[in-house]
Order: sequence, then structure tokens, then C-alpha cells
Amino acid sequence: MRNIKFKTLAWSSVLVLLILFVGRYWIERGLDHVDFLDTREYVIDFTDDSGRRVKMEAPADRIISLYSAHTENLFTLELDAQIIGVGTSESYPVEFLDKPIFDYKSDPEKVIAANPDLVLIRPFIERKQPAFVDALRQSGITVVSFYPQSQEDFDRYIMNLGLVTGRSKMAERKLKKFHEDMDALKELTKDIEPKINVFFESSDVELKTVTPDSVAARAIEYAGGINIATDAEAITAGSSVAAYGAERVLEKADQIDAYVTQRGVMGAGGNLHTISIRPGFNTIKAVQNEKVLEINQKIISSPTFRQVKGTYELARFFYPEIIDDVSKFNVEEPLNRVDAAELFVRFDNRPVFAPTASYYRKEYDGHTYGMFEDVPSSYERFDFVETAMKSGFMQGFKRRDENDDLIEFFNIEGHLTRDEFAKTLFLFYDLVPAKEHIEIVDLEDSDNQKIVQALVDHKILQLEDGKFNPNRVVTGAEVVTALENTK
Amino acid sequence: MKKLIAVLLLVVLALAGCAGAAPDTDKSKKAILVVSFGTSYADTREATIDATEAAFAKAYPDYDIKRAFTSQIIIDILEERDGMEIDNMQEALDRLKSEKYSEVVVQPTLVMNGAEYDEMIAAVHEVEESFDKIVVGKALLTSHNDYEVVLEALKGQIGELADDEAVIYMGHGTHHFADAAYGAMDVRFKNAGLKNVYMGTVEGYPLFEDITPHLEANGINKVTLIPFMLVAGDHASNDMAGDEDDAWKVMLKQQGYAVETHMQGLGELEAIQQLFIEHAEAAMHGEEH
Repeated sequence: MRNIKFKTLAWSSVLVLLILFVGRYWIERGLDHVDFLDTREYVIDFTDDSGRRVKMEAPADRIISLYSAHTENLFTLELDAQIIGVGTSESYPVEFLDKPIFDYKSDPEKVIAANPDLVLIRPFIERKQPAFVDALRQSGITVVSFYPQSQEDFDRYIMNLGLVTGRSKMAERKLKKFHEDMDALKELTKDIEPKINVFFESSDVELKTVTPDSVAARAIEYAGGINIATDAEAITAGSSVAAYGAERVLEKADQIDAYVTQRGVMGAGGNLHTISIRPGFNTIKAVQNEKVLEINQKIISSPTFRQVKGTYELARFFYPEIIDDVSKFNVEEPLNRVDAAELFVRFDNRPVFAPTASYYRKEYDGHTYGMFEDVPSSYERFDFVETAMKSGFMQGFKRRDENDDLIEFFNIEGHLTRDEFAKTLFLFYDLVPAKEHIEIVDLEDSDNQKIVQALVDHKILQLEDGKFNPNRVVTGAEVVTALENTK
Repeated sequence: MKKLIAVLLLVVLALAGCAGAAPDTDKSKKAILVVSFGTSYADTREATIDATEAAFAKAYPDYDIKRAFTSQIIIDILEERDGMEIDNMQEALDRLKSEKYSEVVVQPTLVMNGAEYDEMIAAVHEVEESFDKIVVGKALLTSHNDYEVVLEALKGQIGELADDEAVIYMGHGTHHFADAAYGAMDVRFKNAGLKNVYMGTVEGYPLFEDITPHLEANGINKVTLIPFMLVAGDHASNDMAGDEDDAWKVMLKQQGYAVETHMQGLGELEAIQQLFIEHAEAAMHGEEH
């Protein structure tokens, strides 16, 4: 009798241990993930891009984003107040600078201590740092992994981002605007003939391009280009990167009218210089004609709303005479400073500046990208203003606020003076100082006396009754004519 | 008797110890390791680093000429992008050791004896027991005579300057106290009567803004920019001659100067190559590390 009891006890114990062992995964997670035991109501229930089921009782309110594209999209969904932390590779919009930085390569405790209710990652982070991600999940934080693999997947990704943050309506509105803008670009370029052939270099390591269904490939199409590498196949299933190789590019050397290389991250495409000196690459038509564009990966391949900007950049590069036509500025009206910025950038067909992750690691004496209080990143002509600044075409202003902090502003309402224009115009010339000087009665009123003297001596700008009139506002027609004369 | 045996034993052990410490080398193998920062710009690399190494090969036919770069970032870029395998300092020394070189002359092509030079010395210290002889040559600007030789070499680049013309050299600059070499070079220019030739740096002293007031005061109208770096690579292309608002070319034009750029690295100048050879020669004959 005693023996039987002992045996039963022993077997029961083994059974209990076995159940505990098998069920340890769910026990560790507090049985939260055992569907039949979970009676809570979830308003959010979907599978993320790492294949994990995500269930949330309410949208997130304290979000840490560890991928720059998510961060950018959260700002676009107007979630500034909900973002309590960002990753290490952010570069846009400038508001990210006010957020604490978290690194998935360091201690997860720092993230846990910040008490987020949602941490956004991408599958890459889950693959590279599984222990970090596991630690977050085990502490009870909802971790969601997103990464759209193709341009068609972008909408689903944005809608899911809206879902977990309670911004579904906003996501819908932004996507609607995004598609309208993209369609408008397609419309803008559809009748341009002849269309040009384009090769897109995504990485100079074994010379890779992009797959035909990628964000960048769609950008080429909408910008009116013909991608010559539509036969490229993904390096791994689902990837937007495609192997191609120098040989296949060189086979099409005489057909490539334009060469686009994406830059800004390690392992990205080559630069103008390195492409031009590769063996055989001087046979490529685009290289011979110096029709090579370096474009920041963040606006051409990253899954953000800035794809519109990247696509527009390609259109400007492919068809400068049409897209960057400056005749609309050729009017007898005073030229305001924003128009001036756009006019200079378009006239020079200067690619718009987009900062890389390293940009904000340095301090700048002059202007810092995104810092103008009157030119927020949402401003329609933000890129023209920032690029005119980066190119030295325009100057900004600084003032002290009530806390004695230095505030940068562009003065978008202001007009361009003759003195300011002289400074820009001088950049378009390589003027050797004249031996004889023409007398300028009011030269002392100019802030750029050397420049004004040189432009007048070379008869590029004319005096008005012996005066330069540096503070007179210039008209659009005056500026366009003077710029045309630089050609 | 016991004492005698003990002493004999000690002598034998000591001799055995000495024999163990002797490096395992092939006495006929001699190498010069040319150590450069490196550049990812192939054309300037050919004209500067390759050319300097070729000058060494010509001057020392009995020595094998080896290469190392100090910038790991550049080594990685070249490996990934161009499939070029270039050793860093440690790898180069390990390779020389495994190939049983007996005598090694390490010659940097650095401009001054700064942080990279210190790191190089430390790396050599680690392995000096592995060679019969290993010596390290000095950087470009070390002795008073070096400054004179460099000055003469640069005069060819500078040419004849009109009263309203200036030349600004762009050096890299460093947080290391060796940064003083740039200021010393600037004094040489002035003492040689080249009052409108200036030495500036990207991140040391003097900076760009330390120079421009002199241009204004001296009535300069035209400026030529030249890199004071072994190669005319990334800094020369972007920080010096680039089209953005923080490039020296654009900043000077904004102040009304006519600007020319001369994209020639120091390594292209034969006199500079010869000076590095002289430094290696000095190391071989006395300045043994």
C-alpha cells in the first residue's frame, strides 16, 4: 500500500514538472499570450513584420523608436508628444534632437527604465540583437517590428503604425496626400519625350541595384526615367537590394543616360569620383556627360513620406530644363527671399540637401539644417531654403530670445536686396580682379564691397546714376536675366 | 663542488634562455614598411602613396617594400568596395614576423609626429623582440632642416605671387601637441618672404578664420588653395574645394576673393618623397628605435 502511494506521488511529481517545463514559455510571460486564458479585450491585434502577434489594449502613449524611418513617420503622424526616445541614426526632422537617445546595442535596462509602453524596431534589430529585444519583452514592454519590403507594402506599414499609436485617421490622411503627390509627379513627367535610361546603384559592394518593386525603382518610374536594370533579382527573398555587377552595367554603357547612386550609409553606392575612375566606367554615357547624381538614401530608399522628395529630385535631375525651368520668376515684381532661394537652387539644378546621421554630430558656426524658426520642415519650400543655405546662395539671421538663447530665422517675408544678390551672383563666376576700378559713389553702404566692385568692374551689374544702391530690392526679372548671363 | 654545479647549471640555463630569446628570422630578408593614413580615392593614391612607395623601391633595391594604412575605415572601404586587401599596422608587423624578416624599417608618410605616430611606435614596441633590427623613421616635419626642405618643395607649387595674390595650404590639424608643426611651417613661409602664403588646418591651429583677417589686411584679391596633406583626397575635394557653404572655396568667394584650387597632394612632390627616404635612411643609421 505504502509503495503504491509513493509511486503515485513520484509519477504525479514528474508529471507536474513536465507540465511546468513544457509550459515555461507561457509561464514566464505571465500567461499573457495563452489565448484561451486571456480574457482581456484587445483593440489592437495584428501580426508584425517579424511574424509576432501584437495585442494591445490601447494605443501607445509612450513610444521609443529604434529605427530612423519609424521616428520620421511618427513625427509625420504628429506624435511628437508621444515619442519619449529615438535611436542612434536619426537625422530628420530636427525635432528628434530634443529626444533622449537609446541604442539597441547597449543595455536594455536603459530602455526599460524609461518606462515606454511601445518600442518600435525592425526585423534587422531582432536578428542582430535578440537578447536585447527579449529582455524588453520579458519586462512586459510591447515591442513591435515593422519593415515594409516593397513600395506596395508602404501603406500597410503606415496604417499599422497609425493603429498602434492611435493615429489611424491621420495615417489615412497622410497616405492620401502622399499618393496624390506621387500621382502628380507621374502626371508631370508622363508626356516628357524622349525619356531617359537610368541605372541606379544601391551599393558599390559587388555593384548592386534595386529590385523592380522597390521604393527606388518606383521613384525612377514616377520621375519619368526608364530603369535599365529591371532584370535585377533580389539578393535574398523579400529584399529590395538586387545583385547586378559591373559587367552587366558596362554591357549597357552606351544606353545609360543618367546614373544615380544612393549615399549616406556604409555599404551604399559610390561617389562621383569613385564611379568615374572604376575600370571601364568611362565608357558609360552618363559618366562621360557627368550626368551622375548622388542622392541621400534616406529620401530615395527609406520607407518614409520623404519618398516624394526623392522622386521629385530624380525628376529634377533627369529633366532639368523642364522641371527646374525658372521662367516663372522672370517677372517685374520684387523677389522675396523664399522665391530667391528656390530660383537659385533651380537655376543651378542643385540637388536638395538632406542630412545624414552624422550631420548633427558636429556643431556649425553658421546655419544648422532645420533650425530656422520660420522655416519648419513641414513648410512647402523647406528644401529650397535649406539647400540655398547649404550652397551659400543665401544667408540667414540670428537673434536672442527672452531667455537669451540664439534663435535662427530666415525672414521669409523679406525681399532680396541688390547687395545680397551680388553676393550670390559672385559665386556663379570665377572673376579675376580688374586692374582698373569704376568709381561707385555709395560703395561704403555695401556689406560686400569687394564683390560689388568686382561685379561692377566686369560690367556684370550696372550702376544707377553712379550708385550701386545696395539696399534696393531686386525684381525677379533682374535676377533671372543676370543669372542667364552667367551661362 | 655543489656550488660549482649550481653555477654551471645557472650558466647553462642562462645561455638556453638567451638562445630562446633570439628571433627566428631569415637574415637575408629586409623590408621597409611604408605607413600611410590611406585614402579611398584611387587616382590620388596612385599619384602619392604608390609613387612614394615606388621611390623607396628605387632607392632600396635590397629591401622589400611593404604597405600599411593607419585608417581602419579606409582599409574597410577598400576591402569591401574594391576588393583591395591592405594591412593595418598590427597586421603588417605580424605578417613581417611570420615571413621571418630580419630587418625592418618602418617609415611613416605622416605630416607630423602626432597621435598616429605614437600609436605606431607602441605597435612596434610590442613586436620588437621578433626582429633582429627594427627601426622607425620620423614624420615629414621633424627637424629644422625638414621645414626648409618642405618649404623649398612648396615654392614650386606657389610660384610667383602678385601683391594681391595669396596661397592658403590646408593641413589636417590635430588635438595632439604636434599640431604646433603647422604654425611653425607658417612662420617659415613668412621668414622666407612669402608673406601671403598661409598654413591653415581643418581641425587644428591655425583655422580658416585665423587666416582671413590677414587676407583683408594685406589687400588680397585672389587666393589659391592647396592641400597640405600627403594625398589630395576627401578633405581636399570636399572641405577645401567643395561646393557647400563650409568649404574653404565657397567661404572665400563669399568674402569676394577669386579662388583657384590646386589638387596636388604632397606625396606627388619628388622632394617630399626624397625627404621620407632620408628619414628612413637616418633611422637605418643610428636613430634606432
